[in-house]
Amino acid sequence: MATSRVWSGKRRTVAALGAGIALLAAACGSSGSGPAVSAGAKQTIVFAESGLGTEGAQTQTAINGFEKANPNIKVKVDVLSSDSTTYLAQLEHSFIAGSTTPDVFESDVTYPAKFAQAGWVLNLASLHPDMSQFFPTEVAAGTYQGQTYAVPWFDNPEGLFYRTDLIKTPPTSPAQVVSDAEAAMKADHSLKEGLAFEGAKYEGAITAFLTVDSAFGGKLDPQNLNTPGNAAALAWLYDAVYKNHIAPTAVTGWQEGQVQAEFSSGHAAFAINYPFVEAIPASQEAPAVVGHIGYIPFPAGPGGTPGSALGGEMLAINAKTAHSAAAWKFIEYLTSAPVEVARAEATGDPPSLPSAYTPALYAKAPYFQNVKVLNGYSQPRPVSPNYLQVSTDLQVMLSSVFANTESPAAAIAGAAPTVKSDANATPSS
Amino acid sequence: MAAEAPLRARRPALRWKSRPPGSATTARRTAADRRLGYLLVAPVLILLLLVTAYPLIYNLWNSFHFVNLSFGALPHKFVGGQNYTKMFTSSAWLAALERTLAFTVVSVVLDTIAAIGLALMLHRKFRGRGVLRAAVLIPWAVPTVVSAMLWKTMFDPRSGFVDYFLGALHPSWASITWLNASVWRSWTVIFIADAWKNVPFIAIILLAGLQVIPTDIYEAARIDGAGTVETFWRLTLPLLKPALMVAVIFRTLQALLVFDVIYIMTGGGPGNSTQTLSFLNYQTFITSLDFGYGGAISVMLVVMALVISYVIVRAFRPRT
Repeated sequence: MATSRVWSGKRRTVAALGAGIALLAAACGSSGSGPAVSAGAKQTIVFAESGLGTEGAQTQTAINGFEKANPNIKVKVDVLSSDSTTYLAQLEHSFIAGSTTPDVFESDVTYPAKFAQAGWVLNLASLHPDMSQFFPTEVAAGTYQGQTYAVPWFDNPEGLFYRTDLIKTPPTSPAQVVSDAEAAMKADHSLKEGLAFEGAKYEGAITAFLTVDSAFGGKLDPQNLNTPGNAAALAWLYDAVYKNHIAPTAVTGWQEGQVQAEFSSGHAAFAINYPFVEAIPASQEAPAVVGHIGYIPFPAGPGGTPGSALGGEMLAINAKTAHSAAAWKFIEYLTSAPVEVARAEATGDPPSLPSAYTPALYAKAPYFQNVKVLNGYSQPRPVSPNYLQVSTDLQVMLSSVFANTESPAAAIAGAAPTVKSDANATPSS
Repeated sequence: MAAEAPLRARRPALRWKSRPPGSATTARRTAADRRLGYLLVAPVLILLLLVTAYPLIYNLWNSFHFVNLSFGALPHKFVGGQNYTKMFTSSAWLAALERTLAFTVVSVVLDTIAAIGLALMLHRKFRGRGVLRAAVLIPWAVPTVVSAMLWKTMFDPRSGFVDYFLGALHPSWASITWLNASVWRSWTVIFIADAWKNVPFIAIILLAGLQVIPTDIYEAARIDGAGTVETFWRLTLPLLKPALMVAVIFRTLQALLVFDVIYIMTGGGPGNSTQTLSFLNYQTFITSLDFGYGGAISVMLVVMALVISYVIVRAFRPRT
């Protein structure tokens, strides 16, 4: 009897295990997209974004407006990590698992090509987006093999901030940035450095380099990295730390937050950073800085053009969603001029539409006039599905130079073949 | 002799009572008990197989296939030893291997020496010993990511207290950038943060080892005229070998897989000078989404861990 009970228990266990596995298999198999749902049908779409605080609140305000205008569509917000690396990993895990959600998501300007190559994002051609209304450099960041995969949401051109009380006329050359920084440090002993920039080993170091690069005639082309222009730009940043001593070695640990803190607290005469520095409330700035902020493209040297690096966020649609029509309506709403202007006024996120830069916006936030100027110069990072590998190589190169473990010329010569090889990597290589 | 006789006499009686030879009913009951035992441990066993054995086997399978998810849903075709060939000929992997082994050797030696000192101190009788023993474990209980952030902040040239004190000693020492501005300074901070976290753990293992050493042999050694140093080398250390072996194996495996502290403090920089095997593996998996090549690096790490553990066990085996 005892044996029989044990065996019947064992059979039950095996049966339960089999049922569990079958359920698991069924659950795994349900990740494919269903039939497309029309925009007029009652539905809920999931929107993944990284916004917290003011940005998150403003997104919710926009969603409320969208739901009011489209009562049949509800938007569920999925707030992912505010750390860009973790955010990317979270999105990738959803896509790799073949998930139909998020239906629509926020994407950094460097992601669309990678997502498009993997087949994770929807080709927007069938939705007929009017891309001519956006700044062309950000449109390029969302284009892969001639097709549009992402729509610009807001546009962050990185440039050169300076203290207008210390530097009366904006510098017109890289050499003048150095001389102005040196003069400011002599004149004002409360300054801890002439220039602050992102020198930590992360993506921001690349945008800081890109901001300076075109001023020396450089171009961040993975196929041809070792050019005189790129080498000169890298040498200028190196000299700022080790020859001219206008920047401290501490830059090797600085990301945009630390750079902003240095500038806003009155420690730096110049800073290379994103427009959000101008949107910092006066209460969080040193008194000497309040009302004394200039923001320009990095001034060009001989043979160069004024420099700015493109940052920003885009909106894209999951290739597996059944709600592409509703998702597209949502994107159209978020990227409409009134919604972008409201976001710019509330959060300082610069609109991606040139038409949103109006006198009404300037009246509320005058610094957007500077942002508009920089948008005309901003250069995107290489648009490549392998950009993240290229970025890793570039970060190693920049980190070696900023730590003075390699000379700029040696570092760029050493990195060029690796960058080219990684940019051209294919499944067979 | 008189005390041993009844003990010997009792042994057969005990065996007879628990399993009378030739009893079929008891044998069936024992078999049923055994099956029940298997059933009771089955859920845990299945869970362990799912969370450890399955990923290990799947990872091994990946390492012999093309599994780069950044190229989308391409077929995971068999590539033989291609991922391993790529790994063994990669300058990045070889450099990371060199750094990882160097870090392992240096940190295990330094941490073990420090832990022996700490364990000996905690083994002595003094006021507040219990509180100190509990307090010593706090660094080990703090998540590595948190402790790495703490140390990174403490070594910050603008807001960290380390530079503040150094600046007070000598003006030219002020404003030293420790992390990512110099290879040796970056490693120094990594070693300090890593030791702060791990030395207490080894010390507690060694303390447990010290507590099982009988005190009378120390008294005998003292009567024979042995000094403190001689007692340590000829009594304490040999008798501590079993605990030392466990501690060294744990510490070696931890050091071999070092990741969090480097990820937080330097991101592998300056350049690639603090990139270890685990960090390279993370980049291969997470940045490149290359689960084939990443799988090969992981398998090699497991093989290294097994070989090193075997070598340590052999080295600590008592000589007959």
